[in-house]
Amino acid sequence: MNARNVCRLSLLVALGATAASAMAAAPIVGDAKNGAVLAAACQACHGAQGEGTFAAGFPRLAGQTAVYLEKQLNDYAADTRSNAVMAPLAKALSPKQRADLAAHFAGLSPPSTAAGSSAGAGVLARGRLLAHEGDEAKQLQACGNCHGPEGRGEAFAAPYLAGQSATYLAAAIKEWKSGARKNDGGQLMAAVANRLDDADIAAVAAYFESVGPLP
Amino acid sequence: MTQVMKAADVVIIGVGMVGSIIAKELAAAGYKVVGLERGEPRFTVPDFQGPGVHDELRFDVRKALMQDNTREAVTFRNQVAQTALPIRRWESFLPGTGLGGSQVHWNGQTYRFQAQDFAMASHVRERYGKDFLDPDLRVQDWGVIYADLEPHYDRFEYLLGTGGKAGNLKGKIQPGGDPFESPRSREYPTRPMKEHYSGAMFRKAANSLGYHPFPQPSSNLSEPYTNPEGLKLNTCVFCGFCERFACEHYAKAVPQTFILPVLMKNPNFELRTGAQVQRINLDSSKTKATGVTYIDAAGREFEQPAALVITCSFALNNVRMLLLSGVGKPYDPASGTGVVGRNYAYQTMSTVASFFDKDVIVNPFMASGASGTLINDFAGENFDHSKLGFIGGSFIGAVNTNGRPINYHPVPPGTQAWGKGWKKAVADHYNHTVMFSIHGSSMAQKQNYLDLDPTYKDAWGQPLLRMTFDFPKNDLAMAEYVTGKGVEIGKAMGAKQVVGTPRKGPYTITQYQTTHNTGGTVMGDDPSTSVVNRYLQVWDVPNVFVVGASNFPQNATWNPTDTIGALTYWAIDALKNKYLKNPGRLVSA
Repeated sequence: MNARNVCRLSLLVALGATAASAMAAAPIVGDAKNGAVLAAACQACHGAQGEGTFAAGFPRLAGQTAVYLEKQLNDYAADTRSNAVMAPLAKALSPKQRADLAAHFAGLSPPSTAAGSSAGAGVLARGRLLAHEGDEAKQLQACGNCHGPEGRGEAFAAPYLAGQSATYLAAAIKEWKSGARKNDGGQLMAAVANRLDDADIAAVAAYFESVGPLP
Repeated sequence: MTQVMKAADVVIIGVGMVGSIIAKELAAAGYKVVGLERGEPRFTVPDFQGPGVHDELRFDVRKALMQDNTREAVTFRNQVAQTALPIRRWESFLPGTGLGGSQVHWNGQTYRFQAQDFAMASHVRERYGKDFLDPDLRVQDWGVIYADLEPHYDRFEYLLGTGGKAGNLKGKIQPGGDPFESPRSREYPTRPMKEHYSGAMFRKAANSLGYHPFPQPSSNLSEPYTNPEGLKLNTCVFCGFCERFACEHYAKAVPQTFILPVLMKNPNFELRTGAQVQRINLDSSKTKATGVTYIDAAGREFEQPAALVITCSFALNNVRMLLLSGVGKPYDPASGTGVVGRNYAYQTMSTVASFFDKDVIVNPFMASGASGTLINDFAGENFDHSKLGFIGGSFIGAVNTNGRPINYHPVPPGTQAWGKGWKKAVADHYNHTVMFSIHGSSMAQKQNYLDLDPTYKDAWGQPLLRMTFDFPKNDLAMAEYVTGKGVEIGKAMGAKQVVGTPRKGPYTITQYQTTHNTGGTVMGDDPSTSVVNRYLQVWDVPNVFVVGASNFPQNATWNPTDTIGALTYWAIDALKNKYLKNPGRLVSA
């Protein structure tokens, strides 16, 4: 390598470094139109409008915040949220494409496809209690403190639970409990999930599905 | 007609932080303990849950968690020559009520005092000479030394799960911690809180001036924690609703999260809420308590006999309880004799506001009650006072506890107080201002004291407590000096305008300052200048103990809670290992 090439190489390195730090400083802005194109790959599981496939436990994505959706895709790619199906898909996307998809799904609001809960009144009442009030005996606070009144979500980090697939919600809580998912920073969801037994997990999941999507 | 209850081994007056810890220890040791709490029972679920718990109007402005001052107020005057009037709306300080006490609405700031603080009078004499102090000051030693309390500080901090970075481990200075602190036996149980942007700017500026910034110790938890009682506390979410509010997340160390679930399960303990204690009853010798008399929420009077009475309500109420009961000789400022109500002190609070351009974004709403960055370079005895003419000091910190919409809107001096100009200034400065807390010591002074009001009574017909207080010259001089140091840090941060507001007299009860009311049942080695001995046992009535900030002979630079906690375990140790084995005077007068 001659002196001139060394010089050019170091210039490239310098430019590359500048570009990287500029990227780190400026947040990626998602392009919903491009996201709509990319979303063709998501339809089989999450539905044509992000409505989800509830019985199979594929969650509703429509109307979650772009911040939340983008973070989940990034976390699948980084393996801080483990899922055998989602991880390779997320890893195949560029950070910009993840942001585009998040912007796309954040803007959708299709009707619910929930079939109606088969959970009994007692189960739903228990779920409602946990959602709104918590359980002092288990030192467990209400879901609504973070996930918003009625579980409608609290911008930007806390997703809505109302109208989400019960199968998905129960699986997600169990992932927090097992440690397969640990992408909330303060481990607050792990603390909550560890205080829920299987019956309470089923109850709170059934309750939130039964509420239906909220504006 | 008074109903006489079954005798207990121990009756506790006030089931707040101190009361619940003592009750837990003594009930676990096999004693029958009755806890009398004037307020309501309350628990994280359902009482502290959202969205109601974030009602700023209800809790911050209208102060829903505080002592009901339509029924039980405090009267106030600056000087003996004035007539005191009842405080009908809490502003300057905010005494809580209800199960868990004032700690339910605290910020979680958890500091130890330094070794010199416990030997303040001897230290000042040795360092500056016997004539250094203003003769009106009543500075005195505590009767305990730091080494006595260290294991108890440690135990209390591990109960709470306090987060921080040690600055001195067994005498070895630790990078990143407070190098001025007295030695700790081990590291904090949890790591420090995340630093705000304002804290990071402060740290950089303080370093550039050669000071020693460190993360504020916090009992809002930085990570999940299981305490030695087996109770789990959660991670704080930085919602900015600590002070004046209860925590919905089990993330703030309060009795409801760190001890009550264990205490409530012990059959040796009985909690009675709505129990307004009228007095401690004494036998005819006036040197032995027989129990207490209280009135329940339905207005019925009860007598609760007990072998041991421990009063551990809010500092001001501890003093009042002794005065109402004729326990200890009341202080008389004219003659300087008597002890109950003597050495009432407070905290000397000043501020520095640093206003930045709009490119500096601080997001004040992403806050916790104790996640600041601060320095102790001008705290306590950490700097030479010999040419300054005062003693004591302040910590200086970028302590951003909240950015709540109704009550947080820093604006520069000269801003229109209302209307369009005010609204514009709030919009311009809300997100671009760093507020420092200049949190200072308070020296006891001859003229500052607590006694019973001759005119005003509470809803049960008992005299209200009367507070006579103004800032000692010493403390105002200290505030002026340290606030100046704070202004220099603000300038080093690059603020375009820095406004220092040192505390000025006269003391006003219409402006919030702090709820760190101290003294009045002071501890010490001399019965002529203290109410309780070094074990917090009343000199005159050995089966009455008093525990709380009312034991402080004068107030040090820092928030009192950690020291109250250390004194609590110190007293428990004396009770379990000395007094209860052989009831009687633990120190001969």
